[in-house]
Amino acid sequence: MRKVLTGFLIYGLPIPLLLYSLTVGPSQGLVFSDYWEWGGAVLSGNIHESSTKVYMLNNIIENVRLPRVLLTFIIGAGLAASGGALQGIFRNPLVDPYVLGISSGSAFGAALAIAFPLLHINVMAFVLGVASVVMTYSFAFSNNKSSIVAVILSGMIVSGIFTASLTVVQYMSDPYKLQAIVQWTMGNLHHASWDKINTAALPVGIGIVGMYLMRWRLNLLALGEQEAKAVGVNPTADKATLVALATLTTSTSVAAAGVISMYGLFIPHLTRMMVGPDNRKAMPANIFFGGSFLVIIDNFSRSLMDFEIPIGIFTMLLGAPFFLFLMKKNKINWV
Amino acid sequence: MTDAAIEVENLSFGYGKAPILERVNVTFPTNRFSVLLGRNGSGKSTLFNIMAGLQKYQHGSVKLMGKERSKMSFSDCARVLGFLPQFHKSVFPFQVKDVVLTGRAAFSAFSPKKSDMVKVGQAIEELGISHLADRPYTELSGGEQQLVMIARVLVQNPSIILLDEPTNHLDVYYQTYVLEKLKKLTENNLTVIAIMHDPNMAFLYADHCYFMKDRTVVTPASEFDYHASDFLEYVYDVTFTTVLVNDKIMVVPERKIDKLIEPTR
Repeated sequence: MRKVLTGFLIYGLPIPLLLYSLTVGPSQGLVFSDYWEWGGAVLSGNIHESSTKVYMLNNIIENVRLPRVLLTFIIGAGLAASGGALQGIFRNPLVDPYVLGISSGSAFGAALAIAFPLLHINVMAFVLGVASVVMTYSFAFSNNKSSIVAVILSGMIVSGIFTASLTVVQYMSDPYKLQAIVQWTMGNLHHASWDKINTAALPVGIGIVGMYLMRWRLNLLALGEQEAKAVGVNPTADKATLVALATLTTSTSVAAAGVISMYGLFIPHLTRMMVGPDNRKAMPANIFFGGSFLVIIDNFSRSLMDFEIPIGIFTMLLGAPFFLFLMKKNKINWV
Repeated sequence: MTDAAIEVENLSFGYGKAPILERVNVTFPTNRFSVLLGRNGSGKSTLFNIMAGLQKYQHGSVKLMGKERSKMSFSDCARVLGFLPQFHKSVFPFQVKDVVLTGRAAFSAFSPKKSDMVKVGQAIEELGISHLADRPYTELSGGEQQLVMIARVLVQNPSIILLDEPTNHLDVYYQTYVLEKLKKLTENNLTVIAIMHDPNMAFLYADHCYFMKDRTVVTPASEFDYHASDFLEYVYDVTFTTVLVNDKIMVVPERKIDKLIEPTR
């Protein structure tokens, strides 16, 4: 029973959820029969001959809601998969894609692009996201060796540097730009468009497929470096590949949708509760459930109030208490 | 003497200027249970790390089944040699069979094959831990975890296994259980070499004992007379009394304090 239920949550949910999510939005005066009519018109291929209302609805769905729902799904899947992969690599369940400094690096890059429009905002966010990971790693390595603690500490330092720099940019910006920067750092899926999907889909897709292919190797890495060498595998190459894939995925999604906090941290915990720690099952679960769950959160964030609640705030508000609950329930003491 | 599984000749090694191994010469025979003993810091673990390929070396030679260690790739080495490091703890509650399965990672790149699963079944059967297959590794006792890690090395199908202190932290039941199993493995064409601290346990189970003192392997004056208390005293810097138990020589360290000090009430 439990197996069927988790199976449905992971693999059965995405398609109906994506279809349902197309009907969620702030547009007033649309009722179920309109969607019904729209569905019929799309299936029979004569959308251009249908009523003005259905034609308008088609426009909303095609150009606003569909790209948004798809982008949300892709980003949710990418963040959850990266989170699961990084928790395994660093053998630390408290790690998420942002501990390497990606989020603050990308946020600083985006802020720079908003304040001084030299390069496109996505490009800047991506470049600085990658730069922060490179910095985190180069700080953490000494004598060609790096410990997990060193990586996490140097991630904090890099985050600190970029957060401070971000504040400087905010301080110097005029109020309009400041507003844009602040919105961006809170996560901004409402800017979703086919353009964004076109730029984000390929890098995130490569990242997700790569991490999916390496899901069993991840089990080996999660047992430890010595343990991998003991059975004849040099873990350095595997680790580097996975970190690169996670960085590509995360910085692309930060570039497309801003900072979505805590998401890559708590989804891997949820999926581990559902299917266990074996990454051969947990990785696909992260990808599918991670995508679905962000779509669900986004549905709430755009329908709960008259205005949109930025999704980054929503995930933080959901994630923090959930995480505390997990810590108490499982009596976690990772030392 | 039978063929050499591992042959170490004139091996010297050090970090920076501090020497850790100096001109080590030792040969471990095939299909025997050999034990390496010595004080902390005498270089046992470093010698093991070099033989297992975790540490590179420049001076001297290490041959695995006749082939120079430094010229073998990681996966070539994995076919010949399995290594059990000293500390292992898992953060994630992987099932025992999934932990054991990772021992096949050098041979199956992206996902394990059916034959890999069969090997896992055989290995945990051989060590008598089939009943643990579905349990989370993190919930097992230290002795059970050690057996799981030994099974993980066995699924590699190596001809030599190196174990760094396999009986460390185990109670007497698991110490004897692990050593009996290791001894038994040598009957199936496997060379077992282990680091141990208890000379009596080594005398009970090992076919050969080797001792390290001051960064090199030392041998007693007359070959294989390592039970001699003066030799052991030289190795351990402790005075021993030798006793005979069921025709086996055992050693007991001599107490230096005449009387235990009574605690004041």
